[in-house]
Amino acid sequence: MPLLDPSNFPVQEHALSNGLQIRLLADPSLPIATLYSFFRVGSRNEQPGITGISHLFEHMMFNGSKKYGPKEFDRRLEAAGGTSNAYTSTDITAYYEDFAAEALPLVLDLESDRMASLVIDDDSLQREREVVKEERRFRTDNDIDGMLDEALSALAFLAHPYRWPVVGWMPDLNRISRRDCERYFRTYYAPNNCTLVLVGDFQPAAALREIERLYGKIPRGDPLPEVPNGEPPQKGERRAIVKYPAQAPALLAGFRGPDGRDPDSLVLDLIEAALGFGEGARLKRALVYEQELCVDAHISFGWRIDPGLFEVSLKLNPGVDPARAEAALWAELGRVADEGLDEQELQRAKNYVRAGLLRGLQTANGRAHTIGQMEVMLGSWRAFLDLPDRYQAVDRNAVIRVANKVFPPHRRNLATLLPGELPADAVAA
Amino acid sequence: MKALRDVALPPHSIVEEPSGLVLLAVQRRGVPLFHCRLSVPAGAGEDPRAKAGLAQFTADLLRRGTKRRDAHGVDELIEGMGASLLIDVSMDEAALSLTVPADLSQRALDALLEVALEPAYAEEEVAAARRRALSALQSDLDEPSAVAARATIRLGYGPAHPYGHPVHGYRREVETFGREDCLAFHATRFRPRGALLAVVGDSPPSGLLDVARERLAQVRWASEARPTPLDFLELPREPGLRALVLHKPDSTQAQLRIVSPGIPRSSPRFFEAVVANTALGGGFTSLLVDAIRVDRGLSYSVSTRLAMNRQSGLSLFSSFTKNETLHELVDVALEKMGGYAESGPSEDALDKARTYLAGLFPLGLESHEALAEQISDSLLDGVGLEHLVSYRSRIGAVTAEAARAAASDLSPARDGARIVVVGDGEVGRKALGGLCPVDVRPIEEVA
Repeated sequence: MPLLDPSNFPVQEHALSNGLQIRLLADPSLPIATLYSFFRVGSRNEQPGITGISHLFEHMMFNGSKKYGPKEFDRRLEAAGGTSNAYTSTDITAYYEDFAAEALPLVLDLESDRMASLVIDDDSLQREREVVKEERRFRTDNDIDGMLDEALSALAFLAHPYRWPVVGWMPDLNRISRRDCERYFRTYYAPNNCTLVLVGDFQPAAALREIERLYGKIPRGDPLPEVPNGEPPQKGERRAIVKYPAQAPALLAGFRGPDGRDPDSLVLDLIEAALGFGEGARLKRALVYEQELCVDAHISFGWRIDPGLFEVSLKLNPGVDPARAEAALWAELGRVADEGLDEQELQRAKNYVRAGLLRGLQTANGRAHTIGQMEVMLGSWRAFLDLPDRYQAVDRNAVIRVANKVFPPHRRNLATLLPGELPADAVAA
Repeated sequence: MKALRDVALPPHSIVEEPSGLVLLAVQRRGVPLFHCRLSVPAGAGEDPRAKAGLAQFTADLLRRGTKRRDAHGVDELIEGMGASLLIDVSMDEAALSLTVPADLSQRALDALLEVALEPAYAEEEVAAARRRALSALQSDLDEPSAVAARATIRLGYGPAHPYGHPVHGYRREVETFGREDCLAFHATRFRPRGALLAVVGDSPPSGLLDVARERLAQVRWASEARPTPLDFLELPREPGLRALVLHKPDSTQAQLRIVSPGIPRSSPRFFEAVVANTALGGGFTSLLVDAIRVDRGLSYSVSTRLAMNRQSGLSLFSSFTKNETLHELVDVALEKMGGYAESGPSEDALDKARTYLAGLFPLGLESHEALAEQISDSLLDGVGLEHLVSYRSRIGAVTAEAARAAASDLSPARDGARIVVVGDGEVGRKALGGLCPVDVRPIEEVA
């Protein structure tokens, strides 16, 4: 029997005539359910001048629609035993509700109403703009990881929208207008740009009837504008220095990699796991435990619609020379390119990825998120069923080939944080 | 409110072994995973005097070698299964847990027990761990919310209380940790009496118990007597507000905490306290979120929380805002919390809080890990499974009168509250100076 037995995932697939995609997975084991609405829009769909609008708009989706006025969305939902949240990435904006099963009719009404008739007014936009600016101060302007991440993206991408932060640049947050938001809503929040995923304790036939009744009348939108990818090849190593009053230096390295549909992404997932997952991972063992260069070493590679970044973050021990840590990092990545991973390490990485997939399927929210993410990133929810086999098929030669493609010196991007006074004209508003 | 039906726990068994160890087995169908979790009474509340952080340090070192294998061997043992060993040290306990694909259940149990009960505490590993812990404590100063959390615990409980220090301790005390400290702490706290082993998997509970007993038969527990019971003092209640501002240069935003004594988890007032807190600052439509985030755009995040430990707890307000609006944030927070302490939740807010809590409660029982943790904690905290199986109806039964009393008695901002600000020192002094005595210190003082 395969690890992920398809009979455990009796997902029903439906589409409405307006293009809305629907995936339903009933599970009566607990009296709860999760509804996800995945919109294929993120910061990659923005332009200079309105960076951050995808994320700001995510906030605006909670500020009232025709039937449910300001504050009503969450008030009604919480009063029925539910909670909501949302996230915006470079590629996706996802909204979800976790709720007592009895609240399903209300949840569908709330979600469909804001897709059909969101109200955007100047007052709520101004208040939400201030909230988002606070979020930016919290996650970026006063946070070392955030400021390095911003510096790295601007370094690694010259032409692609992945260049700017999802939260947006502060001057753009001040500039985004109600008209910008309305245009954004009309373009990207049409049903033909959305996948609805419902998982939990419900009757599929009744739920589908309700979805058809509520969403069926929302008109289809125009085809989405293309996102041009004019990113030129990288011709040499790029570096950025950030000065900030910190206790210790930090490094964030990035290499442009493949897009999420490229099979090489699976190989990079395994390299990520082998180098960074668990205390015995190669990079952690070398840099944290053996050479005592870092407090922590963290690797991140996430699938994106366009070629994204393989990132390595090193939080150095106080007093460590960044050049030493940097040299140790390049040496470890070089070793993967030269020798690959030995059988034991590769199998360990496969086990990690396999267990991670399973853990992500334990909850209704986790299953709904996995189904939706597979739909949006790989084109079908079924893609996760054979992922364990596809990972298992990756061998040492594939690791060497992909590491040589992604990690050569001319593809390095490095943002370094050096403790020091913030330049007087660099304090963000 | 419309009553939501209580939630039945999945099939489970609980037995106390002759050694005093409690065994919990839970059957969770559907996902082919196995989870095991060992809780021992070795929390930070047990840190010896002048050894704050020793419980965490001792627990962290468990993964750095056993009597049978070195640190690398331990990593291979656990991570070869694709698992991560999670070590969670709270005020009351140290919990070690592993989740693996179901076919690796016996290997996982063996690994968990070996790591927990047979540590080597090799000299060189203790020395290296000490260096890592000291670096991490210094690095934490770069995270304003972590600094705020450390200061809030000390001010909330007071330095003499067993819970009155951060779990990771202080640099000056961590510097003194040696192998003998670890051996003594482990020998007296990693004992079967007061410990609980939980296993969650796809098999019936009896089968899971058999597997656990078979693996337990292979191990030996420490047997040294536990030291004198802890002295849980009354929490400090000096009248009047006082503020501590921890100066972090070049901050453009200030972290704000307001803290007062709370309740232990076993308090008979648990349910009304949770309902009252939810209406104040627990949900996304709470009074404070409305006033601070939605109406004024002052902050991205605002919440109140009852941090409940086994013997006592804290009542906490948390938020942050840009330097220019710190004064306004403090004003609005104190005014709204003061008003709420007088009036309690409105009828609508009470109804909403009860349904919100009851509706979301089953989410905390979904995963293998959540089931093990929730049931283990209910047993160890002395509230019993009744706490879980009747949670929804008991939340639903909280009266307006009880919620009002809890709102008044447990407000984070009541007389005697302490305010913590992490950010620019001068900004903090100016924002709070007209309100109460303000002590401005460098952030390094909390390391």
